[in-house]
Amino acid sequence: MITVTEPRRIPLPELGRLYRKAVLDAVKSKLSTTGSLKALPKQPVLADHPGITQEQAEAYRQLVHGEAFDGVHRTSLPSVLVHIAGFPVQMALMSQRNFPLPLLGMVHLSNQVHHRKPVTAGQPLQILARAENLTAHRRGTQVDIVVEVSAEGEVLYTSTSVYLGRGTYLFEKPAAAPAPREEFLPPAKTALWTLGADAGREYAAVSGDYNPIHLTGITAKALGQKRAIVHGMYSAARMLEGREPETAGHRWSIEFSAPVTLPGKVAFAAEQIDEKTQRFSGWNPRKARPHFTGELTLP
Amino acid sequence: MAEKVRDAVIIGGNRIPFARAHSAYAKSSNQDMLTSALNGLVARYGLQGQQLGAVAAGAVLKHSKNFNLARESVLGTPLDPKTPAYDVQMACATGTEAIGSLANKIRLGQIDSAIGGGVDSISDAPIVVTDELRGILMEANRARSLGARLKALAKIRPGHLAPQAPGTGEPRTGLSMGEHMAITAHQWGITRREQDELAVASHRNLAAAYEEGFFDDLVTPFKGLTKDNNMRGDSTVEKLAKLSPVFGKDLGEEATLTAANSTPLTDGASAVLLGTEEWADEHDLPKLANFVDYEQGAVDFVGGAEGLLMAPAYAAARLLKRNNLSFADFEYFEIHEAFASTVLAQIKAWESEEFCRGKLGLDAPLGSIDRSKLNVTGSSLAAGHPFAATGGRIVATLAKLLHGKPGKLGFISVCAAGGQGITAIIEGR
Repeated sequence: MITVTEPRRIPLPELGRLYRKAVLDAVKSKLSTTGSLKALPKQPVLADHPGITQEQAEAYRQLVHGEAFDGVHRTSLPSVLVHIAGFPVQMALMSQRNFPLPLLGMVHLSNQVHHRKPVTAGQPLQILARAENLTAHRRGTQVDIVVEVSAEGEVLYTSTSVYLGRGTYLFEKPAAAPAPREEFLPPAKTALWTLGADAGREYAAVSGDYNPIHLTGITAKALGQKRAIVHGMYSAARMLEGREPETAGHRWSIEFSAPVTLPGKVAFAAEQIDEKTQRFSGWNPRKARPHFTGELTLP
Repeated sequence: MAEKVRDAVIIGGNRIPFARAHSAYAKSSNQDMLTSALNGLVARYGLQGQQLGAVAAGAVLKHSKNFNLARESVLGTPLDPKTPAYDVQMACATGTEAIGSLANKIRLGQIDSAIGGGVDSISDAPIVVTDELRGILMEANRARSLGARLKALAKIRPGHLAPQAPGTGEPRTGLSMGEHMAITAHQWGITRREQDELAVASHRNLAAAYEEGFFDDLVTPFKGLTKDNNMRGDSTVEKLAKLSPVFGKDLGEEATLTAANSTPLTDGASAVLLGTEEWADEHDLPKLANFVDYEQGAVDFVGGAEGLLMAPAYAAARLLKRNNLSFADFEYFEIHEAFASTVLAQIKAWESEEFCRGKLGLDAPLGSIDRSKLNVTGSSLAAGHPFAATGGRIVATLAKLLHGKPGKLGFISVCAAGGQGITAIIEGR
């Protein structure tokens, strides 16, 4: 029998506090043995969000060089901005004491979204996050974080973010060797993104996601990257900008490969697969190494 | 209004020699160069004190202080100051659009005479401040008190102070025009050799035309320059084969665009005099050719559905259909060489059954272009390409080529940034 677990109601968390706690937890984990928890917290987390502000929408569109939210022709907010609204609740769930993977150094593997109905600025939202599918990965343990964004009881947006707790082996390492990687043949590029050293800080300023891995070379090194890397969802934002329908109802996904180090250039291609589907890819134009692939399907 | 559409007659043209960026015209402004091109035209056709119907011109890289560039330039010439003037801007098709729209006014009976042209300077390009600094300065400007003003100005950070030069990148893709063209060239399978051959032909044709005095009544010296200083009459395919690719380098071995088969950044200005038959006769001026018709085009390049510089391929199909013509009806073709591959991609597209049926909606290909009729006195690869000045160079050149060949036709194709372009038809007389 499936029991429906009532969500734990929390106030909308502040991301800065969660990161500070994550750093503390990381230090503590060096002192004590961890890995005893092999199950996910069953209880979802639920928070009220007062609504994405006009100012935040404007800051976002300046970041991605999008068209203006003029209140007439463009009011529906981009999926990635909705993700940003829900992100602190994801983080609160993942920083709970009973969450089995350490928050810091968590790697974003992929994101799948069904943006059912338009979300507009100033619309009060309820954000629910739950964890599912704790499974072995050849480089650690992965988990799905599902986020539902609702307004007045109606679900507007659902996303599944897959994260990897790198180096945290809660299960036996998968025995099979990883499938040999298919050689990446870049398609004809349709755009080139030139990302400055401050691209991570700029996305952080808009999203509130001040994960140190994105901010400076030094903080990134402390977390095992050679240089600061751009937020995965920044790539998603650029990929989707100008392509999401005003009436929503679309689905999209992104799968991340090598992170984009900063400063850097990303070659990007959008390919029309059929009337409703576009496929995207982003790669390093010098090394022809893939950064991400994505897809968007219109309703 | 005129009872029926009148002929728009091309009377003549004038340009200053084109100069590679940061060379002979490094210290000349857009207004200096346009005024000089207009002065040359005024002198050549005795227009001193004349009140013309209109002067239209533009620049692609234009400083905001030049908001009335054409009018200010006219005021610096001996033309009657009662001559109205206005600015036009359509990227590299600026000059062609200025001339085409003036021809329409003449044909409709709104004006009897006009000058159309354009100018561009890379050497004196407008450099602006960052968006952040501009935002802060504007906020300080709006502030009502000294305190509020200082509070706004206190937000300035060293990073805001870096000057911003205009780039050749497409704002919506972040790719430079050369990178866009490299993709299109690759998709059409255009070889390095074809491109280099076209570049060599351009230099040789331009040099030969100078040699035989073809440009004597089309060019007026400026700042010590008497010929386009990018021209290399001794250029050979062997020499060009040694150059490394500069665009599409991520294509590796398959990269084909070099500095020689791409146009250099250039400074220069041009102007073309138009009028009705009667106006030309009254002023005892030559009538080289008629500006028959022109057609703009634009393509969806942002999502990669079409190449950035392929719009003329589409505009050509509509223009030919409207005038009930085929490529076989033309004596000369002037296809602007933004890159050698731009010309070759258009030619290949017009020859392609798949493209003409699928993309242009035609029953059959538009057909081949006789290469001996193409850019016979050289084009932008040799002369250079001061963006807005290229239209005037091409129209005046083609009108002169067709002069004395009544009824013979010339075809013009000019691609432009933003996925746009223009094609036009000129008829000799």
